[in-house]
Amino acid sequence: MSSFGDHLRKLREQRRADDASFSVRQLAVRVGVEPSYLSKVERGQQPPPSEKTILAIAAELGEDPDVLLALAGKVSGDLQEVILRRPQLFAELIRQLKDMPDHAVLRIVREVRDGEW
Amino acid sequence: MIELKSDQLVFTFPEVHPQAKLSISFQRTLRIPDDDNTYPLPPGLGEFPLRHVDDFAESVSAQWLKRGGVMLPMYQSEAMWLNFDSEFVDGHDAAYPFAIKIAAGKQCAVSGQAWQNGLRRESQDYLVVPEQPWLDGFVVEKGLIRQFVAMPLGSGYSAEEQITGNAEYGGLQIAVCPMKRDVFERRFPKRREVGRSRSIIMSELHCKVAPDMGLAPGGMMRQEVYDDPYDFTDWQTAVSSRCFVHLCNSMVWQSITNSPPPHPAPTAKSYSQAGLPWFEYYDDSKSALNGSGVLAQLQSIAQKSAAKGEVVLPENATATPEKIVEYRTGLRQGQVREGNF
Repeated sequence: MSSFGDHLRKLREQRRADDASFSVRQLAVRVGVEPSYLSKVERGQQPPPSEKTILAIAAELGEDPDVLLALAGKVSGDLQEVILRRPQLFAELIRQLKDMPDHAVLRIVREVRDGEW
Repeated sequence: MIELKSDQLVFTFPEVHPQAKLSISFQRTLRIPDDDNTYPLPPGLGEFPLRHVDDFAESVSAQWLKRGGVMLPMYQSEAMWLNFDSEFVDGHDAAYPFAIKIAAGKQCAVSGQAWQNGLRRESQDYLVVPEQPWLDGFVVEKGLIRQFVAMPLGSGYSAEEQITGNAEYGGLQIAVCPMKRDVFERRFPKRREVGRSRSIIMSELHCKVAPDMGLAPGGMMRQEVYDDPYDFTDWQTAVSSRCFVHLCNSMVWQSITNSPPPHPAPTAKSYSQAGLPWFEYYDDSKSALNGSGVLAQLQSIAQKSAAKGEVVLPENATATPEKIVEYRTGLRQGQVREGNF
């Protein structure tokens, strides 16, 4: 699971370059975990934290929570709920979408179309 | 990208910041009297329904399909205001800033200039959110606007027709540009924003028929549109999104969508007599734009109909707003406001 830890450390270090409050110690305090634990997560010595903590980290770093959850091998609770309501349909849909280019996927989520004015 | 969610246009810019998200809703409201008075801000009576024009491709004009975007229903002489809601960014305790261009019939509602893609700082042709929570009309003078009122396109009343002499576009055009991420993070390390809302009150009344609608200048009300408090280079102008909002006559709406439009709003007089609230919004830390000379020259619907000898608006007697809710922001802690005396 080091990809989550590596990614997290990279993001945090980037933010710390401009803002000292993004040290392991201060970030850990703000998201409610022990600094030593967060440090181990970053080094891949501990598995990724709970969804709640990941969401708090995403908010602190200004990152997309779904991306961080995916890197941690998790799916957010609200998405799980959606999938569980129609598991076969969504499993099939996701398999169908996996190779589709971004613009085609965006069409499915109903982007408002701009035209010629 | 722009999505339509619960009758709101939701602009997101994940390529700039994952929480750069702006929602715009179109609020139904009462038409303020088009007389010699200036009025406070009228209430929100609920959101206009919004639909993708593509979902009604068989029923809408080829012109609408070509322009894309969304549509909403308005009665002749019905008024609207725009509500801007920028998402609060958790890590920063601030709402993400956006520069927003608003045009009616492709004439800018802030500068009065013809539509151009991109932002112009001199003279400013956009407003800044979250500093500007609402826009109710055309900016005609410093601190004064003329209300957005729907009139049939082609009848000569819309701002577009008065400025260009043509009834070509109608509708509303919106473009949104986010602040650059690094600028946002530098400017907003920590801060808390207080929510504001104008009451939502339901009511009823009457209607009329015509095809496409354009926005015409109605009665005068007190609303400041603020000078951009940031540097022009703070805006990520390379990634703006834009949307054409078609205004559909309410009767036509029913035949296109097979769903009823909302009831029209009450009159300003009956609303005031019921003791319901009007609103004033001040930001003591901001300076207001002077207003557009082009827009100041527009004739209001009442002025124009008197000149043409027509009666185009349902009667709308002078109202006396008594209950006025004041929203005031921008004072430093402990600062005492200097009033007008």
